[in-house]
Amino acid sequence: MTAASPGIALRRAWAERPGIASALTTVDHKRIGRRYLATAMAFFAVGGVEALLIRVQLARPEERLLRPEAYDQIFTMHGLTMIFLFVTPLLSGFGNFVIPLMLGARDMAFPRVNALSYWVYLAAGLFMYTGLLIGRAPDAGWFSYAPLSGPDFTPGVNTDFYGLGLIFLGISTTAGAINIIVTTLKLRAPGMSIDRIPLFVWAWLATALAIVFAIPALTTAALMLELERLYGFHFFDTAAGGDPVLWQHLFWIFGHPDVYIIFLPAVGIVSTVIPVFSGRPMVVHNWVVMSTLLTGLLGFGVWVHHMFAVGLPQLSITFFAAASLIIAVPSGIQVFAWIATMLTGRPRLATPMLYAVGFIVVFVVGGITGVMFAAIPFDQQVTDSYFVVAHFHYVLFGGAVFPILAGLHHWWPKITGRLTHERAGAVSFWLVFAGFNVTFFPMHISGLLGMPRRVYTYPRGMGWDALNLISTLGAVVLAAGLLVVLATLVWSLRAGPEAGPDPWGADTLEWAAQSPPEPYNFTRIPVVRSANPLWDPPLPHVDDPLAGGHRTPETSLGEGDPQRILRMPEESWLPLCMALSLAVVFTGLITTTTVVIVLGGLLVGLVVAGWARPGAQEAPA
Amino acid sequence: MAAEHTATIASHGDVATPGRGSGISRGMLAMIIFIGSEAMLFASFFAAYFMVRYNIADNDWPPVKDIATGERFEPPVVLTGVNTLFLVFSSFTVWFAEHRLKHGDRKGLERGLLVTMFLGLTFLVVQINEYVHLGFTPQDKAFGAAFYTLTGFHGLHVFVGLCLLLICYLRVKRAHDFTPQWSTPLNAASLYWHFVDVVWVFLYVVVYLI
Repeated sequence: MTAASPGIALRRAWAERPGIASALTTVDHKRIGRRYLATAMAFFAVGGVEALLIRVQLARPEERLLRPEAYDQIFTMHGLTMIFLFVTPLLSGFGNFVIPLMLGARDMAFPRVNALSYWVYLAAGLFMYTGLLIGRAPDAGWFSYAPLSGPDFTPGVNTDFYGLGLIFLGISTTAGAINIIVTTLKLRAPGMSIDRIPLFVWAWLATALAIVFAIPALTTAALMLELERLYGFHFFDTAAGGDPVLWQHLFWIFGHPDVYIIFLPAVGIVSTVIPVFSGRPMVVHNWVVMSTLLTGLLGFGVWVHHMFAVGLPQLSITFFAAASLIIAVPSGIQVFAWIATMLTGRPRLATPMLYAVGFIVVFVVGGITGVMFAAIPFDQQVTDSYFVVAHFHYVLFGGAVFPILAGLHHWWPKITGRLTHERAGAVSFWLVFAGFNVTFFPMHISGLLGMPRRVYTYPRGMGWDALNLISTLGAVVLAAGLLVVLATLVWSLRAGPEAGPDPWGADTLEWAAQSPPEPYNFTRIPVVRSANPLWDPPLPHVDDPLAGGHRTPETSLGEGDPQRILRMPEESWLPLCMALSLAVVFTGLITTTTVVIVLGGLLVGLVVAGWARPGAQEAPA
Repeated sequence: MAAEHTATIASHGDVATPGRGSGISRGMLAMIIFIGSEAMLFASFFAAYFMVRYNIADNDWPPVKDIATGERFEPPVVLTGVNTLFLVFSSFTVWFAEHRLKHGDRKGLERGLLVTMFLGLTFLVVQINEYVHLGFTPQDKAFGAAFYTLTGFHGLHVFVGLCLLLICYLRVKRAHDFTPQWSTPLNAASLYWHFVDVVWVFLYVVVYLI
């Protein structure tokens, strides 16, 4: 049998029709992944404009560009957008596109659920932004503390877009995480035992587990908030025996793991990029895996360090202070592993590597200020000041956006088939790196000088004027750098040179596929014999065991031994219909219209009935 | 080694080969993880309930009075206890249904599912009846909120579990679906049902007994 014939059979089995209908019904992980990336980028642009508005407002004292009410909405939406609608969905985009390829699979474990995750994310994002469009965006900050967020102090529909929007979005995030876990555990190429899983996939596995256990706390908290706001329940109202601290506990039981939900996949990108551009496997590969998992686990035991100023018992805050110190250890292991990999390899400073190295620098700064917060007296001094703002931008922008930009340049040739311009990449890096530090470093100082966060303006003569002006100028440079990134990518789409399957000489399986990959990813399923399969030639293949069908192999949890052949589902309208039905339910909830809620519920039931019909795709063929 | 295994699958068509390690299916794995997530959801509601309990002195508990009679609310321990037994028993009947399928007894599978659904439905009806006669509302202090969300959210899960079982039943009845070798959706629905039962046992002990 020649190599061409299985390709033709596969193309026939996996091809999706062109046109609008196919765009709305696709279940291809690569198309869905690209969509996640593009949508998250659009939200990044909107969140970025909001950030610039904040910086313009604060550029000089007593500025009156934005009214206080508008400023509250802008900074709340900035936080919500960046955390919920940009970072995690963008990293999900990489996860969707790259993970099946890295594992040597032909799609995710549940392709239709994957499509559902995307549509629900889009619907929830638009739902939350409806508030801004009608001038009633959430305005109680991204963590919306009770009782401020309650019906007495924040009347109106604003905060409902927050509470209901987060419940809505949680469906997408949870479904996506379960899909990634099952894909990683069951759909690996034959021979990819658990010690041969690539570091990026490990990072996403730890993240997905954290999502599954952390998101419910947020969903519950938001549900209680909405029951209080819309239906007059009392959870956080002290007069009725409730407790506002309950909100803080539930929110941060979600909120601190969420820091790692944002950070771990980003770190996974760095652990992918650094070995490739150092031309050697990761130093202490297994320690990096253990550190990743440990970070995800310990992330659940430190939430109270966000609440040191609440007045909790001394014993409990001491415990959480200790836990917050310990969590620096696994991060430290990873930093040393990256440095050792670079020192013992032959580093090439291509654009992805520049961003990865830039990440290490800013992340160390952000990590150190993070450890400073574990010192309770210091924390109580700087809490709610710009020092905190500086810290979390170093760990979130530095710890997530730098790796995201590294990943974007790293996988761009795989996603589009074209290379980016190296010189332009370097220019964008230096602009982003300089702009980032000029924007956020002065905030440490203005925070120590007492500037509180979330003030819409400040009086003259507090010693904050110059620092704020510098921050604003830095933000302009940062924005310019990001525009250069955008220009680089657009140029690459139009005029970039052909990349070929493996432009970087990388080690993981996605580089064995075409650039961009065929709908079926691999003509022949590869067999894996090490953690760096492309560096141990020749890469053996399974000789077409799937008979050119719409199928992918299922392997065992630990050893990666082949077990079954799975039929994969065809294109489907169900995911989109489900997302729309859920949107009807949430529209009913925010307008407290029982008829619409019931109607939406019936629609959901109808789609579930369609989904639950016995299908060929789940039973063994 | 691995290549040989795959070659074995290829030559045997689509019959599963006994490879090393766990042969757990995608669907069951997804359900187990989902149940983990659901457990965190209930843990959060329990936390809310404990926080309300913690803030109220013992001699003031439960902090609601019947609107009609003005007497302190007493949870209906006996009636709900009997109801609890119904739900616990339904865990055994759904296990029985799965067990009958393993022996190729499709009639037994159908009957087991029907009895399970009947018991689940009885539980829901008794709970709704309890809501009607409790004498306080969800808006009645934080206790009302915590009590109704915890029990109501569980009731919602019973409803979802019933829907899953109904889907399985229809698939058995109409489509002659599931075989002794393959019944992942049925096993997943059954696992979910066990979870809903176990949560209720905790809930009954915490809210009604202590």
